[in-house]
Amino acid sequence: MTTLLAQAAAAPMHEATLAHYLFVAVAMFVMGVVGFLTRRNLIIMFLCTELMFQAAGIALIAFGRFWFDYTGQSFVIFVVTVAAAEAAMALALVVLLFRKRESLSADEWQSLKG
Amino acid sequence: MLGQRSEVGEWGWSVWKLARVGPRRCGPHGRIDLEQLINPVILFTMCALGAIGVCMALPRRGLTAQFIGATIAGLAGGVVLLALTLKNFEHHPNIFFYIFAAVALGSALRVITHPRPVYAALYFILTIVASAGLYLILAAEFMAFALIIVYAGAILITYLFVIMLASQASAEGDDSGELDYDTVAREPIAASFVSFLLLAALTAMMFKGVTNLGDVREDVQATGAGAMRLHPLGKSVESRDAGVLNEMPRRLRDELKKAGIEIAQTDEVAINAGAKTVTIKPLSGTARTIPLPEGVSPYNVENVGFNLLGEHPGSIEIAGVILLMAMLGAVVLSRKQVELDEEAKKAHADMLSSDQAGGVV
Repeated sequence: MTTLLAQAAAAPMHEATLAHYLFVAVAMFVMGVVGFLTRRNLIIMFLCTELMFQAAGIALIAFGRFWFDYTGQSFVIFVVTVAAAEAAMALALVVLLFRKRESLSADEWQSLKG
Repeated sequence: MLGQRSEVGEWGWSVWKLARVGPRRCGPHGRIDLEQLINPVILFTMCALGAIGVCMALPRRGLTAQFIGATIAGLAGGVVLLALTLKNFEHHPNIFFYIFAAVALGSALRVITHPRPVYAALYFILTIVASAGLYLILAAEFMAFALIIVYAGAILITYLFVIMLASQASAEGDDSGELDYDTVAREPIAASFVSFLLLAALTAMMFKGVTNLGDVREDVQATGAGAMRLHPLGKSVESRDAGVLNEMPRRLRDELKKAGIEIAQTDEVAINAGAKTVTIKPLSGTARTIPLPEGVSPYNVENVGFNLLGEHPGSIEIAGVILLMAMLGAVVLSRKQVELDEEAKKAHADMLSSDQAGGVV
C-alpha cells in the first residue's frame, strides 16, 4: 500500500493533466469573484473570498505536484493560516456592523463610499 | 550605504530583465500552445455559456430560471473538461478527479446562488471536502486532512455561528425566511460578464504559460525521458528524498529492519543518493554498504515538514504574528460597546413593544 502510494506520487504529471486541475481552480476562483460582486450579504461576501482562497490552494498544490516541489503544499498551509486569521477578523467586524444597523446588507454601509 | 543602494538597483534590474527576457529564452520545444490542450473556440464559447448560466442561476426577484442556469453552467464546465480530456486522452486524470471536480464546482455555484446564508455555508463545506479529495489525488495527503480539520472543522463553524448569531427577522408576511438582500443579486449581468472574461483570459494564459515560466523546463527537456523527476532547483528527487531520510536515522533503521536487514539500534546509517545504496556503520567494526531496498521513501508529511521548517522558517514566524494580531483584533473588536443609531433604536423599541403587546393578548 505504501509503495503503491509512493509510486503514484512519484509518477510524472503531464501538462494536459495539470491543465484539468488549473481549469477547476480558475473556475472556482471566478465563481468566488461573481459571488463577491453580486451578493449583498456581508457574510456571503466573505464566504466568497474563502472560495477564492480555496481555488488558489488547488492551483498551488497542482503546480507543486507538477514540479515535485513541496513548497506548494507549504504555501497552502500559510493560505489556510491567513484564511483563518481573516475569518476571525472579518466575522468580528461583521458582528460589530450587524449590532450597529441590525442588518447584514452591504447596502446599509453605502455612506462609506464617501 | 551607496553599496546597499546599488545592490537594490541591481536586484530590481535583474527582476526586470527576468520578466522581460524570461519567456523568450524558452526554446520552441519547451513551449506548449493552447491548441495542444484544448480547441480555443470550445474554450471561449463555453466561457460565454458559463457566464450566461451563472447569470441566470443568480438569485433574483420574481420569476427565476435558477435551475436552467445552473444546468447550463454545469454543462459548459463539463464540456471544457471533456474537451481537455479528449485532446490528450492518454494523459487523462484519475476518474475520481471528475467526481470531485463536479462536486466542488457544483457546490461552489450553489454557495453563490443560494438565497439562505446557512445553506450557502453548508455547501461551502461540501466544496472543501471535494477539494480535499482533489488534494488526495494530487498526493498531498497531509494538506487534505488539514484542510478538512481547519476549514470545515473550525473556520466554517465560526461562520455558521456568526450567521446564526446575526440572523435577522424576515419581512412581514414572508415565511420563507429569506431576506430581500439575499434574494436579489446586485448587477448579475455585468458581474458575470467581467468575471467570465477573466476566466477566459486566465485559462488561455495559464494553459499557454504553464511551460513558459523559466529555464527549468529546458533542463527537463534537455535531459530527456525520466528527467521529469527533476527538482526545480536542479536537485533530483532521489537526492532530496535521500536528504530527508538521512535526517531521520531511526525511521531509516526501521525501514531497513522491515526489509530483513540485520541492524543494531546504535548503527549509523546514511543513504548515498546517486548509487542508491545505504552505508551502515556500527559503533565498532567496519562499515558495510548494501543496496537500498525498494520503496523506501519519505512520506508526504515528512516531506512537507522538512520543506516548511527547512526552507520557510521566516514565513512561519510571520504566520504566527498574523494569527496573534488576528486574535488581538477580534478580542478588541468584540469587546467594543456599540451605540445604536437613532433609527435602529426606534426599530428595536418598536419590536420590543409589539412583542409585549403580543404577549398580553
